[in-house]
Amino acid sequence: MDLIRTNLRELRKSLDSKEISAAELCGEYFKRIEAVDPELLSYITVTKEKALKDAENAQKLIDEGKATALTGIPLAIKDNICIDGVRTTCASKMLENFIPPYNATVIEKLNAEGYVLLGRTSMDEFAMGGSNQTSAFAKTKNPYDLECVPGGSSGGSAAAVSASLAPAALGSDTGGSIRQPSSFCGVTGIKPTYGRVSRYGLVAFASSLDQIGPICNDARDCAVLLNAICGHDRHDATSARVDTPDFTEKLGQPIKGMKIALPKEFFAEGVDDAVKTAVMSAAHELEKQGAVLVECSMPGLKYAIPAYYLIACAEAASNLSRFDGIKYGFRGEGRTFEELIRDSRSRGFGEEVKRRILLGNYALSSGYYDAYYKKALALKQEIIRQYNQIFEQADVILTPTAPTPAYKIGSQDSDPVKMYQADICTVTVNIAKLPGVSTTCGYTDSGLPVGMSIIGKRFDEQTILQCADAFEQGFSPVAPKL
Amino acid sequence: MAVELKTIQHLCELSKLDYDEEGMKKVMGEMSDIIDLMDEIKDFDLTYDDTKDGNEIRFGDTREDVSEESFPTDKLLSNAENTEGCYVVPKVVE
Repeated sequence: MDLIRTNLRELRKSLDSKEISAAELCGEYFKRIEAVDPELLSYITVTKEKALKDAENAQKLIDEGKATALTGIPLAIKDNICIDGVRTTCASKMLENFIPPYNATVIEKLNAEGYVLLGRTSMDEFAMGGSNQTSAFAKTKNPYDLECVPGGSSGGSAAAVSASLAPAALGSDTGGSIRQPSSFCGVTGIKPTYGRVSRYGLVAFASSLDQIGPICNDARDCAVLLNAICGHDRHDATSARVDTPDFTEKLGQPIKGMKIALPKEFFAEGVDDAVKTAVMSAAHELEKQGAVLVECSMPGLKYAIPAYYLIACAEAASNLSRFDGIKYGFRGEGRTFEELIRDSRSRGFGEEVKRRILLGNYALSSGYYDAYYKKALALKQEIIRQYNQIFEQADVILTPTAPTPAYKIGSQDSDPVKMYQADICTVTVNIAKLPGVSTTCGYTDSGLPVGMSIIGKRFDEQTILQCADAFEQGFSPVAPKL
Repeated sequence: MAVELKTIQHLCELSKLDYDEEGMKKVMGEMSDIIDLMDEIKDFDLTYDDTKDGNEIRFGDTREDVSEESFPTDKLLSNAENTEGCYVVPKVVE
């Protein structure tokens, strides 16, 4: 079976028509993983044995006519989402041997569908980074150019889907970690509204910003996967008690009259010309389909990077204080309790994680709290206000997903400031708790994908998926040659 | 703005992290650059209004306070490196 960029709907048909069995299907993916991944490095752990058992159970459901959308479908899961009995490392030496004793809620939901786990995808350590180069175990490469980064932090998931080593995957997004790697790897990824998907079992980075979401070949697949994982969860007090519509419902509906806002600050200095050109060309394609383009402004974007990093790192410093080398995780040495904890943390965490813990504690410490952390919270309120103002005159907002296409491995690693500034196009969506989907809108002269983001009102994933799908129906994606 | 050594040492205390001399020098430089970037927020002229922050967690939604089966102890201890039916740590009280 040709697996190259095969979508979930096609796989469903093949499984239901018995053209292929669930075991044969995951076997095909494992063959491709064995052939391609030693160079791409998108997986940290491949779960072949478990997959065959999952496939056997799924096949029974298919044979009994009880299959649902994801029964027998192989998926890759980012390595920061807990799966009972399956090593979950967060790409950190700190959790190198951690075996969760429970399933994340999204995994329980996928299990109920009868999915098949292909393996755990690489990521930036503790989801802190935008290049996958802070991973302690697998520094994933970009399938379009192996000398370039795949983006991050869900770079393993995006690269695996892009290179057809999985038909779809789950990632997590705290400041762009689903959308930016989706853009760099030429696939479609959605960060749902904060609260749409339970965070129970997602290893916490910044609890007010983290959200799990799908990375797929197209918006239609994102809708299918989002349908399976969303909903209120009593284990997560921040999961929302809202209706969960069928996210496929508005797909294919015309976008005539849809108002699409283009905030000028997202197209300003610092954004590559190739990116601006591709995104504006996509905007005009949508206009041809009847959408109305609306010019607007978001002056708060100027302060978005410090606001985001102050909030995210403050929460990370608190969340990561649980890693003491005693209950789980890397255990260092020490004659005293204090020495043991300090040694475990100093040797267990990588450099970027340690920098962010220091920054978080700086923002929260006495004498700095008002000047930094509270100021960042004020900015968060202002960004929410400015988004609300834009949504008074528009249905969705269109921006580049990242200021540049994928860059060369090693070109930004030594400069944390440059690395942080590269998140400018994505972080406000997390700060304002909005949904955003990134889809490919063009390619550079050297063949690297360029992504655009469609941002929606809170809990209006249906409209952004409808808009992304409308564009995708007229766009011919190019798969990487791997 | 260059961050002083004593500030970094204080942050290391708060963060329970140690650096050797070379590592300390490197992180001081990096933190100075990062804090310069964070300082941009000081130009933003608005104050935080905590009455405007939506309290999205409704505590009325929490579950009834009834006991439920929890994880078995051996499963919870399975990820600790040093256990004897409980977590083992260096002696804390002399």
